[in-house]
Amino acid sequence: MNRLPWWMGGILMSGLLLLTFSVFGADRPIGASTYVPYFAGIIFDLDPEKYSYLKDISNPGSWEGVMLFGALVGGFVTSVFITRSFRFSLIPSGWKKYKNNSVLSRLFWSFISGFIMIIGARMAGGCTSGHFMSGMSQMAISSMIFGGVVLVVVIVTGRLFYNVKEK
Amino acid sequence: MDVLVKTEGTDILSRIAQMFENVIHQGHGSLALVFLIGIIFGGIIQYTRVDKFEKIAGFAMLKDTIVPKMLFLAVGLTSIGLYYMIEAGGAHYHIKPILWQGLLIGGTLFGISMAILGKCPGTGPISIAEGRIDVLIGAIGGLFGGLVFTLYYDDFFKPLMGESAGKLTLPSLFPGHEHMVVLIFGVVVTLIAIVIPKKELFDEADLSQLPDDERPDRN
Repeated sequence: MNRLPWWMGGILMSGLLLLTFSVFGADRPIGASTYVPYFAGIIFDLDPEKYSYLKDISNPGSWEGVMLFGALVGGFVTSVFITRSFRFSLIPSGWKKYKNNSVLSRLFWSFISGFIMIIGARMAGGCTSGHFMSGMSQMAISSMIFGGVVLVVVIVTGRLFYNVKEK
Repeated sequence: MDVLVKTEGTDILSRIAQMFENVIHQGHGSLALVFLIGIIFGGIIQYTRVDKFEKIAGFAMLKDTIVPKMLFLAVGLTSIGLYYMIEAGGAHYHIKPILWQGLLIGGTLFGISMAILGKCPGTGPISIAEGRIDVLIGAIGGLFGGLVFTLYYDDFFKPLMGESAGKLTLPSLFPGHEHMVVLIFGVVVTLIAIVIPKKELFDEADLSQLPDDERPDRN
């Protein structure tokens, strides 16, 4: 299980953020949730002329879409050749340990939480990348509000949803 | 800003082609650079293993602190570097507006789902790229979420998100002391990353591939 320590990850991610923000780079922040409604528009064949939201996100949506293709390639190559963690699986070990052994339960909750996650991210105007990393790096008040709410809710949900006590 | 897109057609392949064409013309880096940013993004997330369920759901259970440590360090370092880059004209602000209702309701929904899925929209695709089928199902749920948001944006979600209370930044609240505020923020956030106690929740499926003396949970 090859892997980088957290501080190396933080330094590298900071370098990538600065490169992306720089006028010599992309002159914009990193974001990773606008591409979802953008792809939903393509997959469900919605006319961008008819839906104001698709019109609003046509530029950031396509930018993040291309970045996502890169991320899939980067993630796949790293998992196969460097961390050697590529394997098909339906249920995480942590879910088995702290929730239950049911694949159906994991898939059901995955679908539901994926659904809610995108609605939440788009209502707030960003996600971990757009708000927490890019927004807080600009010291934006909106991103600090988002970051604070998410930190608290994540911990409360973790406590309520999982059987946290060691078995 | 309207981007000139010449590719015709409304089928899926034409629209994917239009996506690439849009990026070529929108002036936020060349197509190759945007793709490269994605590759590095995916590589960092994969190589640090923060895309694992045990990292984000583990943090929700307070059994793993790698994700907040890495996030706070990235923010602390970037905030100082970025501020001076912007002052020197090497970058610009892209501040998101303060939509109180949108941030509170959206942040709550996001936090709940992040703890349950154990991923966020950035780390999810990286998990799918290493073969996690449950996350793929989550992504399909996400596409339906995106569909519902798009369909009911004007009538439901936009009014629910409320009016913008401005695009404020922390330094702008302390006129005359901007530099000091930036330095304090950057240093404090970096220190938070360092002082959060390091806890890790390991995945037995990964550990079992290692020889006994290399297992991080046994030494």
